[in-house]
Amino acid sequence: MPPVSPRTLDPSAALRRRDLLRMMAACMVDWWLPRRLFAQRIAASRKPERRVIVVTFGGGVRYEDTLAPEGWVNIPHLASELVPQGLVYPVARHEGLTGHFNSTGAIVTGTRQNVDAYGSEAPVTPTIFEQFRKEHALPPEEAWVIATNKSFGLMGGSKLRAFGDPYSANVVLPKQLLIKTIKSAVSTNSGPGVEDRRALAERMMLALDEGYEGFGWRVFESERTLGPELKASLAKSLLDYFNDPAAPTSGDELTFFMTKEIMNRFAPSLLVVNFWDIDIAHYGAFSLYLDAVRRTDRLVHELWQHAQSLPAYRDRTTLMVVPEMGRDSDVAGNGFANHRSGDESCRRVWLVALGAGVPKGVGSQRPIRTLDVAPTVAQILGFKMVECEGRPLPELAF
Amino acid sequence: MQFTATLIGDAATLARTHAGMLAHLPATLHASILVELQKWPTLFEPEHRYQRALLEHLSGLPKSSLDSATAGIARIEEQAGINKVTDRHPAGFQDAAQALLRQRGQQVAWRSEVDGFFRTIDPALEARLYPADAPRRVVVQIYGSGIAVQRDKLWSRFKGAGVRVPLDLAAAKSTDPFLRQLLGAPDGGGSPALLDAASAASPLDAWLVESHEALHDICDAGQTKSAGGGATGLSYDRLRPYRDGLTRALNSKIQSGVESPQAFAAYARSLQIAPPAGALLYSADVLVAFVRDVLLTGNGTLLMNNTFVEWAAVQAIKRAQPRVLITRFGVRDKLRPFSSMVMFSQPRPSDQLPSVQDPAGSFVDVEQLSYYVWLNAEKTPAYRGKTLYLFLAEGVDEMLAIRSDRPAATASGLPRARLADVYATMAQWLGSPPAGHSGQPIEPLITGT
Repeated sequence: MPPVSPRTLDPSAALRRRDLLRMMAACMVDWWLPRRLFAQRIAASRKPERRVIVVTFGGGVRYEDTLAPEGWVNIPHLASELVPQGLVYPVARHEGLTGHFNSTGAIVTGTRQNVDAYGSEAPVTPTIFEQFRKEHALPPEEAWVIATNKSFGLMGGSKLRAFGDPYSANVVLPKQLLIKTIKSAVSTNSGPGVEDRRALAERMMLALDEGYEGFGWRVFESERTLGPELKASLAKSLLDYFNDPAAPTSGDELTFFMTKEIMNRFAPSLLVVNFWDIDIAHYGAFSLYLDAVRRTDRLVHELWQHAQSLPAYRDRTTLMVVPEMGRDSDVAGNGFANHRSGDESCRRVWLVALGAGVPKGVGSQRPIRTLDVAPTVAQILGFKMVECEGRPLPELAF
Repeated sequence: MQFTATLIGDAATLARTHAGMLAHLPATLHASILVELQKWPTLFEPEHRYQRALLEHLSGLPKSSLDSATAGIARIEEQAGINKVTDRHPAGFQDAAQALLRQRGQQVAWRSEVDGFFRTIDPALEARLYPADAPRRVVVQIYGSGIAVQRDKLWSRFKGAGVRVPLDLAAAKSTDPFLRQLLGAPDGGGSPALLDAASAASPLDAWLVESHEALHDICDAGQTKSAGGGATGLSYDRLRPYRDGLTRALNSKIQSGVESPQAFAAYARSLQIAPPAGALLYSADVLVAFVRDVLLTGNGTLLMNNTFVEWAAVQAIKRAQPRVLITRFGVRDKLRPFSSMVMFSQPRPSDQLPSVQDPAGSFVDVEQLSYYVWLNAEKTPAYRGKTLYLFLAEGVDEMLAIRSDRPAATASGLPRARLADVYATMAQWLGSPPAGHSGQPIEPLITGT
C-alpha cells in the first residue's frame, strides 16, 4: 500500500489522475488495435526465422566476481540454470577503450570504437542493426536497443552514408525516462516526490506523452501506427513495473519490463539489451555492486524465461550474455570501483550462449573477443558484415 | 614544445632550471609535469620532493638515455599528430591531446608507453626519496560499532597475511574507552599520546579519517585542536555542511542542464565553497584543497561515508604520507528508492521515508575498502616494508596485525593483549616508547619473531 500522501487530498491531483487514466485507457485500446496492421507490414519483408538477443551483463563486471568459481555465488541463475543449458566461453576479452559506450560499440559493430566516451558520437563503423535491416529490407521495429545506460542514444547506428538512420535500430533508454521524471518530482519541496509509486507512475506516463525524443531515445517509425503503438507498449511496461508486487526500483528492472513489452508487441528479430545497474560500483560500495550483479543475473534468467514463453521466440532464439568489459583488479588496478586502468581485469570477460543452435552444457576454453559477437549475430541472422575485426564463433554461427 | 604555464615560487624556479630538459620531452609528458607544477601550492611536501627528484633525475640523464626512455611516447605522439594541437596551456593541451589520441585509436598504446617510462625511472627515484633508514609508519583501520561484523568472514581478504592477536576488552566495552585506550588518551579528557607524538613536527604526520566523529571527539576533548599542533582529521559527518553545499550546487547545475560531463567537471572545479570553521582539525590551505579534491574527484565520496574514508585515506597515503594514519569506518545508509538515482539529490522536507542504515552491507563494504587502503599503502614506497598495519573492530576481541616487512601469516598463540598494550606496541614501533604508561609492547610484533 502506498504511503499516505497529501496529494491524495488535493482535488486538482484527482483531476490530473482522471486525465491520466483516460490517457492510459486510450493507450490500452490502441494496444489492441494496430497489431493486425503491424503483422501485415512485417509479412511483406524478409524477416528471418531466427531471433537473436544479446544481453550486455553491463556496467563493467569482473570475472572474479562472476564466472570464476568464487563468483558463482553472485550469479546463481547463470551458474546453475543457464550455463548448463548452453555454451560458455570463460575466456573472452574486450579490446580497446574501457568505457561503456566504446566497449558496447565494439560488441554491436565487431570493431573497436574510439568515439566520445559519453555517447555524443555514433559508432564509426556500421552496426549489426544497420547491416541486418539493410540486407533483409526490414523495418525499424525489427532491431532494438533497450539500454539502461543513458548515454546510449546513438548506439543504434553509425552515421555512414551507406547505412545510418534509414537502417538503424530503435533505441529506448528506460532509465533516462525514469531519471527525468524523478528529477522533476524532486525538483520542488512539495510532496509526494518519489515516495508514492503511483504518483511517480503517473508522472512517467505524462512524461512519455510529452515526447520520448527528450529522453535521448531514437525511434524510427516506419508507419504512422508505431507512435501510439510504442507508447501503448511502453505505458503497459510502466504500469507493470510500478504495480509489480516485488516493488522494483532499479533502472535495469525498468529496462527488463520494457524489453518484455517490446518482445510481446513487436517480436523483433534482433534485440540488444543493456543492463547497467552494476556500474553503481563507482560509488565504492562493494555490497551495492554485488547486489547489482545478482539482480542482473536474475533479470537475465527472467528474460530468457520470458523468451521461452513467447511463440515468436521459443525454439528459434539464440541468447548471448556478455559483459561489455570488466573492472579494475584489486592488485594491478584501482579496484572494483573503476574501469580505467586498462589492466587485464578490465578486459577479461566471458560469454554465455544458449538457445537455438547452441550446444548444451558445453564450455570452450578457446579465447574469444567481444568483437566476435557481431559477426556471430550476422551469421545466425544471415547477413554480411561489411567491416569487422571480429570473427564468427563457429560453435554458434552455423 | 613551448607552453604557457602559470607557475609561482619554487615551481617557477624548478621549471626555469630544467627548461632545457622539459622542452626536450615529448609534449604530453612535458605538459603533464607542468600541470603538476601549477598545483604547487596545493601539493604536500612529499609531492614537492617527488617533483624535484623527477626533474633532477631527468636532467641528469644523458640525452641519449632520455631519448631512449621517451622514444615510445614520442613515436605515438607523432603518429597521432599531437604536434597539430595548438593549445599552449598545459591542461588545455592535455585535454586536446587525449581527445586526439582517442580519435586515432592510440590512447591505450600511449598509456602503455607512459607506464613503461615511469617503470623505468621509478626505481631510481624511490631509492633517492625513500632510503632504507626512512621512518617507520603505522596504519590502523577500525570498524566502528554498529557494523554487522561476521566473525567468520572478518578480514577475510587477508588470508595468508599477518597474525591474529586476541584482545582483552574488559575495560573497553564501548567506543570511547576502546578508542582512548588504543590511542593512549588518558581517561577524563587527555589528548591521544600516539597522535601527539607523531604530529610533533607537523599535523600532517598524523591523520584521522573517519565516517563519524568519535576520533575527532577524543581529539577535541584532549584539546589537541590548535593551529600548530595536533593531528590532521577528516570526518565525513563533520564535513556535512560542506558536503551539503557542494551537493546543492551540483544538484542545481544538473537541474538546470549540463551540456557535457567535461563541462560539469569544469563547473565543479569552479565552485568557491569551503568547509566551515571547525570542520577540520587542521585547516591549512593545502588541507582545504585536499578535502575538496577528495569530495569532487573521488568515486562516490560525496555520497558514501565509507567510500570517503577509503578514498581520503588512500589519497593521504599517496600524497601526504603521514607516519600515523587511523581510519574508522562506520555504518552507511541504504540508498533511497528512486531519488538516489538522481545524482546529488538531497532529501526534501516533504519526504516521509526515513534514512535506513545498512549494517550488513556496510560490513561487506568495509572489508573491501580496508583491504584497498592496505593495498595502496603497500604500493607506496614510503610505506612498503616500513609499516605496521593493525585492523580492529570495536567489540571484537581480536585484531589482525601485519608487518609489511614480514607479511606472511603466522600462527597466533599470543597471549591476550589489552588495548593499552596495542598502543604501547605502536609507540614502540614508531620509536617513541611511552614513559610511565601501563601498556606493554607486544614483543613478537616488534621483533618479528
